Amino acid sequence: MQLALSEDQTQVLDFIDTLARPYASVPMHDASLVLESADLDAALVESGFLDVMAVEELGPVTAALVVEKLARLPFAIEAAASVMVRPLIDLALPRPLCLVEEGRIGGPVRFLRPGASVVVVGPSGVRSFMADAGIIAAAQVDTLYAYPAAFLTGLPDCMTSHDVDAAEVLRAWRVAVAAEAAGLLAAALAATVAYVSDRKQFGRPLATFQGMRHRLAEDQVMTNSVHWLALRAAGTGSRGDAALALLHAQEAAKQVCYDYHQFLGGMGMTLEHPLHLWTYRLKLLTAELGGRGEQGLAASDALWG
Amino acid sequence: MQFEWTPEQDAFRHKIRDFLEANLTGDWEKFSEHGPASPALTAFAREFCVKLAEAGILFPHWPVEMGGEGLGPWEQQILAEEMWIAGEPRGGQYMNVNWIGPTLQKYGTPEQKARYLEPITRGQSLWCQGFSEPDAGSDLAALRTRAELRDGSYVINGQKIWTSYAGLADTCFLLTRTSDDRKKGITIILVPMDTPGITVRQIPSLIGEGDIHEVFFDDVTVPETARFGDEGQAWEIVAYSLRNERLGIPRFTLARAALDRAVAMLQGESRFAREHVRIEAARCAALCEAAATANYAVVQKRVDGLSIGAESSSARYATVMAERAVCEFVVEFVPQALAGASPYLKMHHQRGIVAGVAAGSAEIQLNIIASDVLELPREPR
Ligand SMILES: Cc1cc2nc3c(=O)[nH]c(=O)nc-3n(C[C@H](O)[C@H](O)[C@H](O)COP(=O)(O)OP(=O)(O)OC[C@H]3O[C@@H](n4cnc5c(N)ncnc54)[C@H](O)[C@@H]3O)c2cc1C
Repeated sequence: MQLALSEDQTQVLDFIDTLARPYASVPMHDASLVLESADLDAALVESGFLDVMAVEELGPVTAALVVEKLARLPFAIEAAASVMVRPLIDLALPRPLCLVEEGRIGGPVRFLRPGASVVVVGPSGVRSFMADAGIIAAAQVDTLYAYPAAFLTGLPDCMTSHDVDAAEVLRAWRVAVAAEAAGLLAAALAATVAYVSDRKQFGRPLATFQGMRHRLAEDQVMTNSVHWLALRAAGTGSRGDAALALLHAQEAAKQVCYDYHQFLGGMGMTLEHPLHLWTYRLKLLTAELGGRGEQGLAASDALWG
Repeated sequence: MQFEWTPEQDAFRHKIRDFLEANLTGDWEKFSEHGPASPALTAFAREFCVKLAEAGILFPHWPVEMGGEGLGPWEQQILAEEMWIAGEPRGGQYMNVNWIGPTLQKYGTPEQKARYLEPITRGQSLWCQGFSEPDAGSDLAALRTRAELRDGSYVINGQKIWTSYAGLADTCFLLTRTSDDRKKGITIILVPMDTPGITVRQIPSLIGEGDIHEVFFDDVTVPETARFGDEGQAWEIVAYSLRNERLGIPRFTLARAALDRAVAMLQGESRFAREHVRIEAARCAALCEAAATANYAVVQKRVDGLSIGAESSSARYATVMAERAVCEFVVEFVPQALAGASPYLKMHHQRGIVAGVAAGSAEIQLNIIASDVLELPREPR
């Protein structure tokens, strides 16, 4: 057991901080439901941070730390799947990488666009194809989720099969989403804490009311433990740990998304405050891989048979 | 970062497990239903701790100059986990090795060290902690039990409550008021429990016989040399003691073990196939593991010699959530466990329900997280 960051890990996280600094805050009053930056994406690819998993001395825990860190940015970046799942399948698959479950392809697919790699995971194994316009249906223009997303209209007849255990891919997918959720939770908490510490009603900051303090503290406890469970799942590579990590992340997301919008009052309903950029990504992640119940069943299978 | 135990840590855990297996025989599990402060378990622990001492696993985490092996915080954690999962066969003596010994070593007079440390190392002493009072629970600094210095003796008058182990303890680590200066007016006195003027009354409870007590002090007179530290130094010393015991008991390990037992019972009755039961069990496991990792993150800070702050409150609260979930799971899905079908699960329940009250309540942990982790502006006083 050794839970302190290694020197390499500290360095990677510091580099990312420097690289992402221009993107750390949002252009206020930019009435946008989702923020993306091609420049940031290109810089990340260039820097090699999306490939840390394959570097021997870095590996999966560092990969999870990178995913967590990037998720804190207001910009949606396709990092989780590329950083943590792609190395198991084929490092040459072009980004963005879209993961879908066989038999459950009807939901909004994050980052789906022409040219994206779609990986279908399920009982038939792990297969992929490159999406083209013919197989994509756009989501509603003012979709609330703060990810770019679209729908698949079906699957192509011809897909590339990958020689990798679907259960392993599912495991890595769960960890990747848990790590992303950990970053989103941390950023949403920080934004909410800043707001309620500043905003005054009844002559005092909102954050001085215990009704709010206790819920924020509970949200901190959940946020902290999602962080650790995601890192642990990355480190142990255990299927049970992966399912527990995502289960806990999805539980936490449900709890905090409600609290934070509540605590911002009317401001929480606007696009003026960036909160929704984190919470509405979290909300979509609560549906990932079938939601909490499915993670619960997967964890239960892994722990108790 | 490394989430697996090292081979040495695994070996240490197995050494303890092997010892427990060899020494907790027969109907230990039924026996452990007696609370940690019960006469039965206290008597058992007086023999058991001697064996632990002989095997070198009573206080291996103490520094070498105190007779320990100087093992690190991870080993201390592993030791505590294994004892707690087993139903805490050390009874109240766990306090001795966790914080009373180290605190005596740091703040005790030579005479106090000579008198009290040796019986602890032999597994032969039982302490109680006289902090809480009827009107000073969460607001501990409101305590009123008076100690007045008269002709070289302290005369103590007042009342303590919820005092664990008081019924059988040899000595009380007592907080008294020696001046009206709130925190700075509190002084520790080490009081032999057989001193005339002390009355102990057991409080009937949900958590097993002998656990909690009222303790009355009527003109209890002890020599001035029984004072521990200086007058007014109690708050500082207690803060030091808590630093040794910040995370408290590793309750999440017993909660997880209890959950596994409950699942095994359900499987044995072919009742674990239903999805809602499986999902709820997984939710409980996630909370137990969440508590474990949050606690381990704090242990790491001890390993690195960093000061531990409010993050230990976050870990404590995560533990309370885990205990609550598992207690509720058992009641909902294996209610028979608490009515005779599983001594182990009853033992867990009785220890689990106090997690959010004993040693600083859950709400107080939330207050600390709000102020010191989230750094929210302070509440008006
Ligand atoms: C099994 C057990 C063993 C114990 N053993 C010992 C022992 O050996 N020695 C000893 O000295 N004490 C012992 N205690 C006492 C324990 O430390 C106290 O019970 C605890 O500190 C709470 O104090 P209280 O019971 O007076 O509750 P109170 O302080 O009256 O609290 C009641 C409720 O009010 C809440 N509350 C209080 N203040 C605030 C606030 N500022 N904001 C929000 N909510 C608040 C609490 O969280 C709690 O929910 C033990 C308790 C138990 C249950």
